[in-house]
Amino acid sequence: MLKSKTFVKKTRAGGVLKIVREHYLRDDIWCGSEVCKECKDEAPVLQEDACIESNLCSYPHYLIPDTNVLLHQIDILEHTLIRNVIILQTVLQEVRHRSAPVYKRIKDAIHEKEKHFYTFTNEHHRETFIEREPGESANDRNDRAIRVAAKWYADHLTKNTNGGSLKVVLLTDDRANKEKAEQYGLTVYRCEEYIKSLIGNPELVDRLALKPDDQNEIIGSKLLFPEHLPLSRIQSGIKNGGLLQGTFHANRDNYLEGTVFINREGEDINEVLLQGLQNLNRAVHQDVVAVELFPKERWVAPSSVVLQDDSPNDEDAEEDETENKLKGVPPDSSVLKPTGRVVGVIKRNWRPYCGMLSQSMIKEATRHLFTPADRRIPRIRIETRQAANLAGQRIMVAIDGWPKNSRYPNGHFVKNLGTAGDKETETEVLLLEHDVPHLPFSPAVLSFLPKMPWSITEEDMKVRADLRHLCVCSVDPPGCTDIDDALHCRELENGNLEVGVHIADVSHFIRPGNALDQEAASRGTTVYLCGKRIDMVPELLSSNLCSLRSNVERLAFSCIWEMNHNAEIIKTRFTKSVINSKASLTYAEAQMKIDDTTMNDDITKSLRGLNRLAKILKGRRTEKGALTLSSPEVRFHIDSETHDPIDLQTKELKETNSMVEEFMLLANISVAQKIYDEFSECALLRKHPSPPPSNYDILIKAAKSKDLDIHTDSAKALADSLNNATVRNFPYFNTLLRILATRCMMQAVYFCSGMDSDFHHYGLASPIYTHFTSPIRRYADIIVHRLLAVAINADSTYPELMDKHKQSSLCNNLNYRHKMAQYAQRASVAFHTQLFFKNKGIINEEGFILFVRKNAIIILIPKFGMEGTVFFENKDKPSPRLKFDSEGPTLEVEEHTFHMFDKVKVTISVDASNIQHQRIRMALIEPVIPGVSVPVPESEPVAKKAKLDC
Amino acid sequence: MSPMKLCVPGERLCSTEDCIPGNGTYLRHGSIFASLAGYVLRKNEGEELPVISVVRETEAQLLPDVGAIVTCKVTSINPRFAKVHILYVGSTPLKDRFRGTIRREDVRATEKDKVETYKSFRPGDIVLAKVISLGDVQSNYLLTTAENELGVVVAHSEAGAQMVPISWCEMQCPRTHAKEFRKVARVQPEYLQA
Amino acid sequence: MAGLELLSDQGYRLDGRKATELRKVQARTSVFAQADGSAYLEQGNTKALAVVYGPHETRGSRSKSLHDRAVINCQFSMATFSTAERKRRPHGDRKSSEMSLHLKQTFEAAVLTELYPRSQIDIYVKILQADGGNYSACVNAATLALVDAGIPMRDYVCACTAGFVEDTPLADLCHAEESGGGTSLALALLPRSGNIALLQMDARLHQDHLDALIEAAMTACKGLSKVLDDVVRQHLEEVSVLTRD
Repeated sequence: MLKSKTFVKKTRAGGVLKIVREHYLRDDIWCGSEVCKECKDEAPVLQEDACIESNLCSYPHYLIPDTNVLLHQIDILEHTLIRNVIILQTVLQEVRHRSAPVYKRIKDAIHEKEKHFYTFTNEHHRETFIEREPGESANDRNDRAIRVAAKWYADHLTKNTNGGSLKVVLLTDDRANKEKAEQYGLTVYRCEEYIKSLIGNPELVDRLALKPDDQNEIIGSKLLFPEHLPLSRIQSGIKNGGLLQGTFHANRDNYLEGTVFINREGEDINEVLLQGLQNLNRAVHQDVVAVELFPKERWVAPSSVVLQDDSPNDEDAEEDETENKLKGVPPDSSVLKPTGRVVGVIKRNWRPYCGMLSQSMIKEATRHLFTPADRRIPRIRIETRQAANLAGQRIMVAIDGWPKNSRYPNGHFVKNLGTAGDKETETEVLLLEHDVPHLPFSPAVLSFLPKMPWSITEEDMKVRADLRHLCVCSVDPPGCTDIDDALHCRELENGNLEVGVHIADVSHFIRPGNALDQEAASRGTTVYLCGKRIDMVPELLSSNLCSLRSNVERLAFSCIWEMNHNAEIIKTRFTKSVINSKASLTYAEAQMKIDDTTMNDDITKSLRGLNRLAKILKGRRTEKGALTLSSPEVRFHIDSETHDPIDLQTKELKETNSMVEEFMLLANISVAQKIYDEFSECALLRKHPSPPPSNYDILIKAAKSKDLDIHTDSAKALADSLNNATVRNFPYFNTLLRILATRCMMQAVYFCSGMDSDFHHYGLASPIYTHFTSPIRRYADIIVHRLLAVAINADSTYPELMDKHKQSSLCNNLNYRHKMAQYAQRASVAFHTQLFFKNKGIINEEGFILFVRKNAIIILIPKFGMEGTVFFENKDKPSPRLKFDSEGPTLEVEEHTFHMFDKVKVTISVDASNIQHQRIRMALIEPVIPGVSVPVPESEPVAKKAKLDC
Repeated sequence: MSPMKLCVPGERLCSTEDCIPGNGTYLRHGSIFASLAGYVLRKNEGEELPVISVVRETEAQLLPDVGAIVTCKVTSINPRFAKVHILYVGSTPLKDRFRGTIRREDVRATEKDKVETYKSFRPGDIVLAKVISLGDVQSNYLLTTAENELGVVVAHSEAGAQMVPISWCEMQCPRTHAKEFRKVARVQPEYLQA
Repeated sequence: MAGLELLSDQGYRLDGRKATELRKVQARTSVFAQADGSAYLEQGNTKALAVVYGPHETRGSRSKSLHDRAVINCQFSMATFSTAERKRRPHGDRKSSEMSLHLKQTFEAAVLTELYPRSQIDIYVKILQADGGNYSACVNAATLALVDAGIPMRDYVCACTAGFVEDTPLADLCHAEESGGGTSLALALLPRSGNIALLQMDARLHQDHLDALIEAAMTACKGLSKVLDDVVRQHLEEVSVLTRD
């Protein structure tokens, strides 16, 4: 039967469009229940015995939630206990319209077979379709549709099942809807009373999200935030330029400050500073908000104060004094930034947060404050009965709302992760907070792995070059099992050299489109934490079949150059091949072989050749302006029994590191050029945008403090001035400067060549670049392998490879995962550092000042490669006199002035007072300032340390 | 004679061994297909195979074919030829007028060069003619009246009355009794209508 | 704001059809008394009117006529009120000319033009309401009009559009689905022989998907041909009943 849907829409130009659409009603939409005899459903989803232990509904029943219940109580619906739920098409479409994340979650729940969720297409079912009555609003019409569908279900099930004990329960929180439904003869309950009736599972009650009307009790009395403007006002404000739209980023160090990054380009104002709780107006990190600018007289400078929200109790009074802390410092007019306040929130971007419960002072209280691990998120008030159990645990909490008369947002408990401080739990928290997928590979994914025992077949050999006779070797860090790359170098008859880089042929095993490929694309990269590795591809491939281990035949993708002795490339060719690596060496072993003049076997000669060429290549790159920057990388020695870190060591770079690196870069550049020539629209490349001049300010200031000049007009100028920036008697200065320079750089990103025009890689001074050499641990490399394989006619294309929009969104995902992996890695290092220091007690070390702030200095300890903060304002001690000069920048404490790069001596200890944020506490030993510095601690007896070693 | 079986274009009727294709059908790959929507008609023609054709109520446009007798109306004359509009093909009226030409030498069978078109036709006459050629790009249908049964059938005199044929080259007006020259068709008396 | 969901998980499209189902088709022939043949066809909300004149003498310049075949002259136009926004230029714009040319090519393949040398057959089609599948509706309507006019044809010409959404081919696209940015392919088919008269696509499609798409379009056309067949037979019966008495 055909009906027609007519509605009137407004166009952007202000015109009016009448849209007429067909709407067909069907007779063949089944009810989805196992029990029903009338419907000819081949695969019914809803079970016959749909019992949940409940004292309200003791009969088997199906649940029908309405839209608001679905939107707000998604956590409860995702719980494994809730099964046999009917999701109506009306409800699903409304959810899709209002909240994409909830829509995605409910779709995932529907796909899970064990949950028995059924989508009933009621809009197209002849008997449950209703038309909007004149004078009825759209919402009322949807509510009526839900009621009609529920009634149909109730009648249908009673008719077609003998016995008819199976009933249908409607869940809604809307009072009007509930009354009408009861009048209609339906069984309907409010979500809260239904969940509370599930006596078998009380923990579900905790997961109940609190709705705005129910929150009358949970509000403070004093604080009142200004009301958020309604969406229509905000939109008109943005249109006429009075308001600006942007994303809110909270300041990690200062909970009273935040910045809004304005989305529109071409605006002169792209950042607005917000200071003070009132002006922040309940914006949470990453929300899209509307801000109103203050007039220029009220603009302030970003505070250099470091402030944490440490208040132990849920009171509002603190706020005033902290405001004063900010205002105490007179603004420096040169660094004034546009300031404003948040007047409305356009889109909330809340997600579940990990953290810990700070128990309330009152023992019997059910309301507690939850402190998230991420410092940019405010604390959240939750209601739970299990506070005692959750005391020392890491938990996950989701935010429900932030009423305007409440100091903190309200939320509900989602999950318990484990004991805080425990390595497993902390690693789990780290991975969750950084959105790293780390669950074990599903059976579907593993089904696409090749069956063991695997060997190279005749067909494989036919299409590949046989390079098994070549003297190929690989050089990797010690303990590495996923060997991506191998090299060889040999002399040709014509006097030139043949150099080859062979990369594991992962794209042969991971075919496009299957579950294994999708999982790898979602993970994007392998994440290396201390002592743990989250693989992108299952271990069978990463450590065995793809890994170029020595003395086994392996499939590879080779890039072979013919060069002269001056490292100039004469010919390049790419081919799929089979290799047999003769040796897997570590950097140290390879270095030893090169240095040992008595060794003259093929491998050593090959290594020496590679080394020589690498040096020439590096020299050439440096001339073009490639940057060599430093980062204080640190390696942990993990104790084999306790898996605790025993010692920290900074990574040393040997010649062989540089050798491998040079050839990997050369391969990446050659491949980038080839795939771009072949596919100008959809080549996956990597670029490094050059930083804006303002990023270099801190570097230039630092160099000036030692009377040195840094030129930043081009990469070469920067590289040269960095090389020349040395200070007598201060050898570490250059390294420090390079470390600072790293902080000024932009992030390198993947992009699709059809969507961008700027390909330059600033750091490597190369006009084009991509990632090709590590397909085992990076998904981008797998895509580049596929593109290159098509370019050399070794493989066929598939639709998604050629679609530049799909590739662009893939690049966005890869960039995101890469960033998150880096943060996770850093967080893992920080955690292990703390663990290490906890075991050591208090030690003292020398360090250099890296940054100077108004009330603190940030110190870098080269030996451990870590940073820490020395605060001068402590809660329990009287504050010394502080004077901050932003020109230097310098900080004057009592009589002593601290400049950047000053050498100091500090004690390092772990402050475990706050279990969640165990901090490295540093206190000043030298220079001695009365009232501030601490005495040198007693050194630990050496005997104890020896015991740990065994 | 008429089994009323419906058929539509593209429908396979029978194979070439059974019948001969007629009107409204076409041959393809050894089978006869219908090309019109109508009724299938099978006509037996003696010992030869029956002819199968498709018949419609509203006959489709017939085009004047070579050798067909057409009824036309003279539109203009010229010492060399006369231009006509073809109205009927056989007894079927045409919805559209086709253009035709009767050359001077085709007016009569005898003494072709002594013909004067002015004395054979006048504009407005209804003439029976036969198609001799479809013509080429430049010219229209070529017609001839060089037979006894072909020529002017109906003509009006200068006074306006319909004239009566007297001989093969003259017609007389009943009102004014004036005679005019025409190339007259010898039509059977019973077909003449008053 | 998410875009429209063209295919739900349950397999239903925007208007409730499954992926391979066609829209409701209704047609009538002989709607115009003056013309030789005419037909009115509705495919869902797309309404097309086709009128056929001929075969008659070539109008205009005599040089256009072909000595052994008939010339088919098509004109396609859309009514100004046919789309959601009023169309400024109903005739002569590029799209109309291109459509006219396509129609001409399609029917030259189907009509037995050898029977009518030196003459011209005119086909005029007008879209009264456009809701996706304009070309298909035109072809179907013109077929019916030609049959009504008694012009001999090899076979019906049925046309249908097909599109692709995430690996599932959809048959008979409506306007929202066509403009959603996915691929859309128009196919004109002679159903009994399976010969393709015209295949047109304005999008980028990977080779692997092409076969599936053409299959879907062909199945849809064959379904459509049944509907057209019924209409023609019904009309014939009506007329014969009237004339017999």
